[in-house]
Amino acid sequence: MSRYEKLLNMLMDFDGSIEFAAISNTTGEILWNSTRSDLKIKVPLSETKKILKRESGDWIDRCKSEERLGLGRSLYHITSFEKIKHVTIPVDAFHLLYIAVNNEPMTKTKKKSYGRLVEMGKILSILDFVNTFQ
Amino acid sequence: MEKYEKLLNMLMDFNDSIRFAAVCNTNGDIVWTTQREGMKNIVPLDETKQTIVRAINTWAQNSNLKGYVGSGLYSIASYEKIKRITVPLDDGNILFISVNNSSTKNSKTTSYGQIADMGKILSIVDFVKS
Repeated sequence: MSRYEKLLNMLMDFDGSIEFAAISNTTGEILWNSTRSDLKIKVPLSETKKILKRESGDWIDRCKSEERLGLGRSLYHITSFEKIKHVTIPVDAFHLLYIAVNNEPMTKTKKKSYGRLVEMGKILSILDFVNTFQ
Repeated sequence: MEKYEKLLNMLMDFNDSIRFAAVCNTNGDIVWTTQREGMKNIVPLDETKQTIVRAINTWAQNSNLKGYVGSGLYSIASYEKIKRITVPLDDGNILFISVNNSSTKNSKTTSYGQIADMGKILSIVDFVKS
């Protein structure tokens, strides 16, 4: 099993709200992906491919910015919608991790909800852990 | 006071880690801006303007996804030192916020930065809209 597959498996095991996870290359082409078996994907794969193409271009810009502007390492990018959060994280120089996380409010929320918290600290620590085996 | 000026003031009062905030129109022109006193810009304003223009284009493309995932709420680009946040407002305007993301000094484990309190930020946006 490649470390990328291992990463996807660990992420799916760690967090039940992750609906879909994928590894793409720098052009946004999906190389590995994992879908939660009991869930219907909200965004069609054709749209996800478009998102990944755009995100891969944006990440090239972000990586250039981090060096030029001294912002420190770029860690992740989240786009939050009412029903889902899209998260992208650079895995290494050639690969991008994409995760779609359920963002629908908990049913017992009393006040207005803007969705759920994504545990980015834990997700990044899983990524760092898997990267130590490269 | 114009509502977006009020929004920026409320955001700066609410959260000390917000370094810079701006409201931009659909062309990417900054129409209101505020910066915390005594804080130096990490990113030059010209670069921020380019980021905002890119964000406007991205939010326009994201509107194609509305039928699948609902309305767009916010986006966060997180770097070690700062988080750059955009929130779509009414009429295609965009709120841009730059938030300090340096790890807290007493952190024992590896820190990936601070949590941006998006729930509170969005509730301020909703309050001002209302």
